Amino acid sequence: MKILIADDDPISRRLLEKTLQRAGYDVVAVPNGMAAAKQLCVQDGPRLALLDWEMPELDGPAVCREVRKRKDQGYVYMILLTSKGLKTDIVTGLSSGADDYLTKPFDSGELKARLRTGERILHLEGRLVEARENMRFKATHDSLTSLFNRGVIVELLGREISRSRRERVPTAILLCDVDHFKSVNDSHGHLIGDEVLQEAARRLLLSVRSYDYVGRYGGEEFLIILNNCDPVSAPRRAEEIRKSLSDTPVQTSIGPLSVTLSMGVHQTENWGPRSVEELLHEVDGAMYAAKAAGRNRISFTKPDISSGADQFAPTEPAQSLG
Amino acid sequence: MNVATPSVLNLTELLSRVDNDRELVRELFCIFKSVFPSHLQRLSDAVAKEVPQQVEAESHALKGMLLNLSAARAAAMADELEKLGRERKIAGVKEAFIEFQSAAETLLLHMESVESQR
Repeated sequence: MKILIADDDPISRRLLEKTLQRAGYDVVAVPNGMAAAKQLCVQDGPRLALLDWEMPELDGPAVCREVRKRKDQGYVYMILLTSKGLKTDIVTGLSSGADDYLTKPFDSGELKARLRTGERILHLEGRLVEARENMRFKATHDSLTSLFNRGVIVELLGREISRSRRERVPTAILLCDVDHFKSVNDSHGHLIGDEVLQEAARRLLLSVRSYDYVGRYGGEEFLIILNNCDPVSAPRRAEEIRKSLSDTPVQTSIGPLSVTLSMGVHQTENWGPRSVEELLHEVDGAMYAAKAAGRNRISFTKPDISSGADQFAPTEPAQSLG
Repeated sequence: MNVATPSVLNLTELLSRVDNDRELVRELFCIFKSVFPSHLQRLSDAVAKEVPQQVEAESHALKGMLLNLSAARAAAMADELEKLGRERKIAGVKEAFIEFQSAAETLLLHMESVESQR
């Protein structure tokens, strides 16, 4: 584990460095408080620190205060190490944000024991952060496919449309529905249906860029947002996504199954005053048009960009592919 | 024998602190000998100019080093100087400094003796 030693006394610094290296720590030693604060405030900086009280530029308590101001990084366990030993000094040191206090000259056994206490606290914090991240993931992702859930993908759509309007850059909305999914469930059971959805999700995710968004919109419906997708690229990219599923059968535990998608696409940078719900309604219409035209195909909405603020574009498909 | 007098250099304690690493002891002595003269000069200047804040700061720094080296006698005298400085006292500082200087000279001799025994 990485540990920072900050001490302007070269003897103390060397003694600590050697003692902690022997104990298996990866030691970073600095001679003043400013360098210590800089090291401790970087993202992957040391999480354990031994700080001398009296140091040039910033003293130990001031380093503690600087580090505690930072809220966007993991906890740093800090021990003040000094030849000050009065009760009032201890109170001052701990009030500045230090976790522990040791007087010089240190006893190496006691020092190592106190550092192990620090490590236990950091380990506990790591477990809490991990648990919080797991909960955050569960709250924002679909449990079957691990894609964004409906609430999150619709919120992302709202943000992306706002950005598209503000920056006047084109965005494409793709609503995909797995064809004949009910018959997959009816014929092979829900477990096989789940396998199909998981594989469909995986392929959709692989067929978009890292900054595009894919979410599970409903049972067998997926919503994809392609950022900065111009009118020329949108049909090509939609076709690539459709083919990512139709070109290769899905391998399930009962063997390969041929699976296809019907897709509605809405692409523009001129969204007018439409709400997210209205846009979704339009792209949903295009998706149903693709179904009606025979499935395994793409239909595009045709937004009426020249019309007034309260005009709505027809939802009939302008063209079909597939 | 005066049992109350702190030892000039408690080598047993120092070796215990460094896990019996005699090479490290030699290195620490070397560091001390290189930084001590400048600290002593600044302390001497502070005493001569009667600047108690500087007396406090310099003697505090020296005390930290000496405690790490288990040089209890010189550390105790540095502690006395630090206290006088903290209390902003001028009286007695010069005498305390002379005693400290003498203890430090004895310590340096002990260090050389220890090094020559190796």
